[in-house]
Amino acid sequence: MQTVGQQLIITAIPTLPALVFLVLVLTGRLLMENAQYVAILGVTISLVFSVFALLFVAGIVPGGGEPIEFSVNWIDLGLGGSFPMGVYIDGLAAVMLVVVCFVSLMIQLYSGAFMEGDKRFAWYYAILNLFTASMLGLVLAPNFIELYVFWELVGLCSYLLVGHWYEKPSARDAAIKAFVVTRIGDAALFVGIIIFWATTGSVAFSDISVAAQSGFLGGSLLTTTVILVFFGAVGKSAQFPLHVWLPDAMEGPTPVSALIHAATMVAAGVYLVARTYDIFVQSPTAMLVIAYIGGFTALMAATMALVKKDIKRVIAYSTVSQLGYMMLGLGLGSYTAGFFHLYNHAFFKALLFLCAGSIIYAMDSYNLFDMGGLWRRMPITFGTMLIAGLSLSGVFPFAGFWSKDAIIASAYDEHYYLLFGMALLTVFLTAFYIFRAIFLAFTGEPRTEPAREAAESPGIMTGPMMLLAFFAVVSGWVGIPEGFGLPVKDYFSEFVHPSEFATTTLGIEAPAFSYALGGISFAAALLGIGLAYTLYVARPEWAGALAARFSWLYTFLDKGWYFDALYGATFVRSAMWLGRATRRFDRNVIGGLVGGIGRGTLGTGGLLQRLQSGGVQNYALFILLSVLIIGVIVGAQYAVLVVGLIALVTITAFAVGTRL
Amino acid sequence: MPPQVQQLIDALTATPPLEWYLVVGALMFAIGGWGVLIRRNAVVVFMCVELMINAVNLTLVAFADYLPNAGGLGVSYAVLVIAIAAAEIAVGLAIVLAVFRTRRTVNVDEITSMRG
Repeated sequence: MQTVGQQLIITAIPTLPALVFLVLVLTGRLLMENAQYVAILGVTISLVFSVFALLFVAGIVPGGGEPIEFSVNWIDLGLGGSFPMGVYIDGLAAVMLVVVCFVSLMIQLYSGAFMEGDKRFAWYYAILNLFTASMLGLVLAPNFIELYVFWELVGLCSYLLVGHWYEKPSARDAAIKAFVVTRIGDAALFVGIIIFWATTGSVAFSDISVAAQSGFLGGSLLTTTVILVFFGAVGKSAQFPLHVWLPDAMEGPTPVSALIHAATMVAAGVYLVARTYDIFVQSPTAMLVIAYIGGFTALMAATMALVKKDIKRVIAYSTVSQLGYMMLGLGLGSYTAGFFHLYNHAFFKALLFLCAGSIIYAMDSYNLFDMGGLWRRMPITFGTMLIAGLSLSGVFPFAGFWSKDAIIASAYDEHYYLLFGMALLTVFLTAFYIFRAIFLAFTGEPRTEPAREAAESPGIMTGPMMLLAFFAVVSGWVGIPEGFGLPVKDYFSEFVHPSEFATTTLGIEAPAFSYALGGISFAAALLGIGLAYTLYVARPEWAGALAARFSWLYTFLDKGWYFDALYGATFVRSAMWLGRATRRFDRNVIGGLVGGIGRGTLGTGGLLQRLQSGGVQNYALFILLSVLIIGVIVGAQYAVLVVGLIALVTITAFAVGTRL
Repeated sequence: MPPQVQQLIDALTATPPLEWYLVVGALMFAIGGWGVLIRRNAVVVFMCVELMINAVNLTLVAFADYLPNAGGLGVSYAVLVIAIAAAEIAVGLAIVLAVFRTRRTVNVDEITSMRG
């Protein structure tokens, strides 16, 4: 059990960045560029508290050693149940908290220089902090409703940050695209949550898992619901078929891309699957769907990255591909490996983006073919990017090797040879595309004037890069498998492991480390790097020749398998058609009705206007007539008499009227 | 005294029935209404309004006297109506005077500035 003070510390982890957000929104105009110090202070404290949570869960702090769990009632529906707001931190959440805080801190340090002179500097920092706060809240959530609240906040923040330079139409479009595409997934997730609520009467992850085990929810309904929840993760984590938003999201500032790709936005989807793993494992079909979507996405995105000219887009597709790996790992039942990859990926992917940002800062271009020979001018950027590239490719002994190898090994062990082949091919392609980018940017001769005059970025940018580079090398060392033969423990899988229930349901033993499989994946990575070296350093003319020879393939890959064109022709076009039809309906039918009522009233008024002659005697006549009519109605028994009277009065009235 | 004369005196001194009062009241009301509708001089219109008011008063008093269950309530109404009529005339004549000052006429046909 935790004390109240410890609970306060845990609560402060997401609250502090949220508080910073409020402060910066209210006083941003006064603080201007000093906003970064407020923000960095807040995130630093959050990081310290997250480390405390990690130590507590790990049992190093006295009184700890077990998951932190507490909650308060948020919405009480009486007999209908209630929605609590709470905290649940096990090993998974604790690691995630530290990663999010750490990466966010690095990026906020870096942004101080990168965003210098930006018009909306304080606003940028405010949203960055809201982003961090939402992600931290999402990580802490013990139930679907709380998770969904933060899930949507994350989506909102990514919209705001991708569209930070909204003066550019492309940034605006990308922000809307990111929002709308992820929203499709969110809708599916929400439907899933409603089904869970309706069938089990609870939204807590643990309750739903127990309810499903005891048969309240099962069969095809469980599978459907789980796949709906997974579809939410597909949207957020940019998996096929909702991956199209992520490359476009490169329109945002580069540090934002780093944050989205490493820690906050896209990690949310993978985290959701890992968090609700006990529910997922109960549906083998859903697990298989996850594995195949993950494997296919990994391969598809890797091929798209092969030919991109924009350095950020290469890295963006790489993220889609690596997220596919994580999903593949989770779908295959190697929970620890999948999450281990998310954890390693956070460091080297953030680093890759910060390196790309450093190049963009130096020469104001995204195009790889504008660069060249930068290694001499920007040695630190070159060194750190090389480390990140090696880690991403899965080269021994960098961090990426350990987690990627674990995923590939589990595909082999589970006898999914198709997935194994796809994953291995992806390793090769990954190594190729990232080293293509590195060789194009850093080696050879400078291709343009800015590349010749590029200078190394300031220390506030290279500092976080070097720190991240350190982690890109060593982060994997906490999870070196036992079978490798080194006298170190596999701390990671000891700390982050699936529940006993999940393990027994899946019936999978964690695969022992195999030198043969590790060697194969290492060889595939080296082969990719070698091919990139051949094509872009040793024989640059071959690359052009190949592109010209297979121009149809080149265009196909460069257009991202024509997914944008396909969605444009089907969904976007039909949505536009629907919009136009609605507008027509609104203009003609609704507008016509409203206008008709208006015109009718106006016309009637024009007719009645003639009665308002202004002459007082006319009015008196009307009064008299009205009284007589009322008299007729009331005294209907004297009908004949009254009719006669009215006839008389009418004649008189006409007589008077002619005189008026 | 011849019987015919005696009859006439009897008829004249006998209490007239309620209907007579009502007929007189209705006639006064009709004459007043007719005047209100067709006379052009605003002051005469007012006089006609006064005629209508007094026709109603007559009816009220007659009813009060002839209907045993009315309990004399009609008389107090009549007093009320007289008071209101006085007030109405005061205000009305003031308006007529004001109109006359600005427009130099009290012909109601010419005063149509409220035409819609």
